[in-house]
Order: sequence, then structure tokens, then C-alpha cells
Amino acid sequence: MTTMTYAESAAAGIWTAGVDQVGYIPSVTIAPVISALVAEDGGANGVSRRVTPLSREEEAIGVLGALPLTGRLGAVVMQDNGFGNAITALTTFSLSYHLPLLIFANTRGSLGEYNSMIHSVSQPVPAMLRLLGLPVIELDRRTSAKDWGDVVAEAGRHARMTYRPVVVLASFWHTDGSVA
Amino acid sequence: MMRRIEALRHLAELGEQLPLVVTCAATSRELASIADRDNHLYLLDAMGLVGSVATGIAIGIRDSDIPKVVGIEGDGSLLMNPNVLPTGGYLAPSNLLLVVLDNHVYSSTAGLPTYADRIDLARMAEATGWTVARADDADGLRRAFAELLETPGPCFLHVRTEPGNEDGVPKLLVDPVVVGHRFSTWLQERLVARMSR
Repeated sequence: MTTMTYAESAAAGIWTAGVDQVGYIPSVTIAPVISALVAEDGGANGVSRRVTPLSREEEAIGVLGALPLTGRLGAVVMQDNGFGNAITALTTFSLSYHLPLLIFANTRGSLGEYNSMIHSVSQPVPAMLRLLGLPVIELDRRTSAKDWGDVVAEAGRHARMTYRPVVVLASFWHTDGSVA
Repeated sequence: MMRRIEALRHLAELGEQLPLVVTCAATSRELASIADRDNHLYLLDAMGLVGSVATGIAIGIRDSDIPKVVGIEGDGSLLMNPNVLPTGGYLAPSNLLLVVLDNHVYSSTAGLPTYADRIDLARMAEATGWTVARADDADGLRRAFAELLETPGPCFLHVRTEPGNEDGVPKLLVDPVVVGHRFSTWLQERLVARMSR
């Protein structure tokens, strides 16, 4: 039996959630998730038919957040320090139009961090998102890789069920991944 | 040069059977005053997001035979999220048409200038892989729209318009959930109708 890594399990959870298209803004922490998504979709080098890079979080919310208008579901894979770029799109588009979206973001700025500045944006992210009315589910080393996949899949279903974006924040510290 | 509302009259007619994603404020309300149709998705406050949303819809219906998803954007709004251009060029949806009504000012924001009197937005689109056409009158708009509708790949129609908003057009005081649901229902019924033919 092959054991999935945390990143592979998170990627599997995204597909299990019934996501039709993924857009990502790269980070070194999230790269293994992207690689697993692309591999599962038959692509290579960070690109497949259903997985594509985007250049900024705001446009990712616009592009992937629009999919429910066509009857499909999108997911954004990103790093938490990009939420500042995404707030206006999340509130004036996704939340205001009641459009589901699955967002999986790795966290920075806490245990295992080397960067002396990134906590300034990353630390308040969960509270900031909750203040905006976004559901936030936090994952870390204390649960298994399998649990990560289950949680991500259920978060996607929760987004569909509640007609809004759902954010999964994942700390890779002391998992088989790395913070940065 | 046309006034924006004249350009919108032509676009409302030409895009009657197409998904239209429309930028906020005066542009949305002027289009709604001409025709408020189910195929209109007004982005009531998401300035800069028209190109991104239109790209997402284009991806979502890429296997359909709807020829183009049409974004109606302003120069100021496009400059607020110029990523639309390289992203559209990179992803290259075959069914995307972005119409930019360029009046060189933020008409809904006191007529303050945009960059567009010094920066050529159509050349930016060309440089990022879009097929570009330009128009500054009604005949040119109609001709270019028809040509781009038949052109595969992301297409960019640059329409030069006069600055200013129409007087007496009421604010668009609608619930975005209703607008989104109306548009989505129209689009999905249209997809089913085309598939069942």
C-alpha cells in the first residue's frame, strides 16, 4: 500500500471535492500540492488541462470564482500572504454573488518560519478572513495526511452547499512537507 | 468618436445571444437602460474583474459551441487589473472577446484621467497574444465585432469613445445574487439547448 504525503492527500481532496478547474499562484511550500494536482490530471511542468498558473490572487478569484456561473466548481491554490491581494475580489464578487469556491492555502509566518517579515501579513489572515465572513478551516501536523485530504474534500462540498468561498489554511511545519 | 451609450447600443444588439460580462457603475447602468437582459452579468462593484470573470466563464464553457464570452470593460478598470492581458494571452481561451470602451478617463470617478492617453491598451493586448481590432465609430465597431466573433483565440476590440456619462440614467439598484442567478440560469439553459440540438 502506498502512503500519500500531506501534499498528495490535499491534492486528492481537491479532486474528490469535484473541482473542475484549478488555478494557482506559486509558492515553494505549495509546489508539491501543485505537482500532485498536475500529475493526477496528466500534465507536466506545472501545467495540465485543468491546472494552470495565474499571476496574482485577485485575478485567481475572478477566473476560478466565475466557474459556478457555468455550473462548475473552481479551486485556488495559493499562499496565505496573498489574501491581501484577493480581499476586494472575494467580497465584491464571490461573497456578494454567492459563488462557491475552494481555496487551499499554505500558511507562513509561524512555527518553522525563517522570514522576519512575512508574519506581518500571514499571522492576521485567519482572523481577517473570518471578519469578512469567510469560513476558515485550519490544518497542521496534529492530524494525519489522510485527514487533510478528507477535510479538503469536505471543504469543497461545504462551499457548494453554502454558496460561498471556503478557505483551508494548512501549516506544513512538522509534516512531511516544509514551511519554506 | 461615439458616446459610450451609442457603443453599448450596438453591443447590446450584437451580443444578444452571447454571455456579456459588464464592468461596474455607469457602463452597467447605461447598458441596463438600453436593455436589461438575462445574458448580462453586471459586475456591480468588482472593478477590474471583468476580464478575469469572462476568462473563467470562457474556460467553464470551452467545450460548448457558444462562440465567444464577451467582456465589456473600461480603460480605467482594465488598468486596475492589467493581469487580464497576459493571463488571457497565456491561457488563450478560444472563446473570449474583451471589448474595451476607452474614453481615457474614469468617468464614474469625477472624470479623472487614466493612463490611456499615453499608454496604448490595444498594443498591450497585441504584445500579450490577443488578436486585436480597433474601432472609433459604429460601422467599425460592428465590422470588427463580427470579424472577431469568427476568430479563434482571445480577441480584443479597442473602441475609442467620448468621455462622460449619460444624464438621467438611473442607478442599477439590484441584488448581485439575483443578477448572478439570472445570468447563470440563462447560460446553463442555453448550453443544454445547444447540446440537445
